[in-house]
Amino acid sequence: MISCRGLTRRFGDFTAVDGLTLDVAKGAICALLGPNGAGKSTTVKMLTGLVPPNSGQATVAGLDVAREPREIKKRIGVLPEDLGLFDDLTVEEHLLLTGRVYGLNEHEARSRTGQLLRVLSLTDGRDTFAGHCSHGMRKKTAFAMALLPNPQVLFLDEPFEAIDPVTGKIMHDLLVTLAARGVTIFLTSHILSVAERIANQFVMIQGGKIVWNSSAEDLPRSLEDHYFDLVESPAAEDLKWLGSARS
Amino acid sequence: MARIRAILGSLLLVFRRESKSFGSFGTNNFFLMSVLALGAAGAFLYLIMALVMFFPMSTDPLRKIPPSRLNLWPLSSRERWVLRVASPWLNPLTWILAGLAVWAARGKVTFGLWAAAAGVFVIGFIAPSFPLAPRKGAWHHIPAFPGPLNHLIRKNLRELLSTLDFYCALVLSATVAGFRLAGKLPAEALLPMTVLVVLALSSYAQSLFGLDGDQALTRYRLFPLRGWQLLAAKDTPFLLAALVLTLSMAPLPGMTAAVMALTVGHASSVNERREQVRWRFSSGASFGPSLLQVALLAIAAGTVQTYPLAILAVIGAYLGSTWWFGRVLERGLVES
Repeated sequence: MISCRGLTRRFGDFTAVDGLTLDVAKGAICALLGPNGAGKSTTVKMLTGLVPPNSGQATVAGLDVAREPREIKKRIGVLPEDLGLFDDLTVEEHLLLTGRVYGLNEHEARSRTGQLLRVLSLTDGRDTFAGHCSHGMRKKTAFAMALLPNPQVLFLDEPFEAIDPVTGKIMHDLLVTLAARGVTIFLTSHILSVAERIANQFVMIQGGKIVWNSSAEDLPRSLEDHYFDLVESPAAEDLKWLGSARS
Repeated sequence: MARIRAILGSLLLVFRRESKSFGSFGTNNFFLMSVLALGAAGAFLYLIMALVMFFPMSTDPLRKIPPSRLNLWPLSSRERWVLRVASPWLNPLTWILAGLAVWAARGKVTFGLWAAAAGVFVIGFIAPSFPLAPRKGAWHHIPAFPGPLNHLIRKNLRELLSTLDFYCALVLSATVAGFRLAGKLPAEALLPMTVLVVLALSSYAQSLFGLDGDQALTRYRLFPLRGWQLLAAKDTPFLLAALVLTLSMAPLPGMTAAVMALTVGHASSVNERREQVRWRFSSGASFGPSLLQVALLAIAAGTVQTYPLAILAVIGAYLGSTWWFGRVLERGLVES
């Protein structure tokens, strides 16, 4: 359902993603892992048509990302890194707008909006402008916008960050159900315990290159242990002034 | 007191940085054309601009510190009191009002003028302390529009209503309507006043995406919408505002001028996005395109006043501009 070959993206002299080659099957939940600046968000941006690659090819839902960007947009749901919300729309208005933009009629858009607001515990804050929402509410709103058009492929950039445990559990269960129904999910996460529970494919990226790509069954040990084996930790430094006599 | 000095110093820095955004009126069509065409004779128009700017300038500098942060700082009650009393003096309007008070005491300005200015200042100063409950704010009562872009248009109307351009045009329109009701406005003044109202709005038409932050641009990129649809959703509130504000004057030439302002403004809006600040005047594009926009909107309004069917040519030009710059917008939205 997602396939890319030699996907590369440079920003000036800096190569953010370097020759990424990857396949994600229909109905799989693929977790893209890596430290800050590894190239995870740039990968998601290239696969969703937000950023064009300098070289390489990618197909999503059977469509070429470079040649058919509008068709792909109709088939995917995206939770972008910056959430992509309008300060001047309320939580509910965001969902209604999304429904109509993706071709739902008013009745269906309202019905799905109501359900998502209930499921994600957003009902009380439905009339709050996004500019006045907490980060968690904003994240849930953007997540609901990604689900509302009933996409074939979901791209979620850090979906569980800033989410309370109960909503996190609901989102987890929703995603597992969606994958079982054939929706392909591609997510990035720094929360390894959640990634380990939800994903059945793990891709580790560092310095723009894939350093490890395996299914959940092929994990040699716990995801966290394996992650720390692969990621170079910065040298520890003792901040001696912390906890010393106060000055 | 070192803590208070540090806090006041930071506040002054933040307040000065923010105050620079008030300078946006310097490239606003209404101001530029008033200076060029009227010079000192445009005092009434400058007064309207000053009046409209007075309210957002009447802010409490202490509000620049998030309340949670202020409460966390280890300040004594006395230090908090000093901060409360000293911080309003970081706002130059406080000094101006103090100066006016001295003049009022000496009889150089009327007490009524001082009281009116002080009243507006106090309202602007304390109003943000009373947040409205959800569903109570005026922003919730924006009317619905037909079609799938309803909420996008409502969002854009909220953006337009948070620029000073609209309120400047509103004051002008209300003044003209008042004169007209009193029978003191000659018929031949209707067209120039209509053009003046659209002129007051026109800089916004050069920066249609200026109040959209980076997040909004991300969403535009993700939505399966065409560029012309995004432009049309921006243009609709502008045309609606122009219609409402020129209805009591010369609506057909007014709408023509508004359509022409958008036709020319699309190029600047799409090609040179300038970030705008809420509750400020829109800053216009460079002088050449601004002059072209003003000249064409005035010519179009004048022509349609005489030959109403000429509006069809203006609409044709608008449709062409929307189609062409919609394509440019689509290409530009893909991050390079």
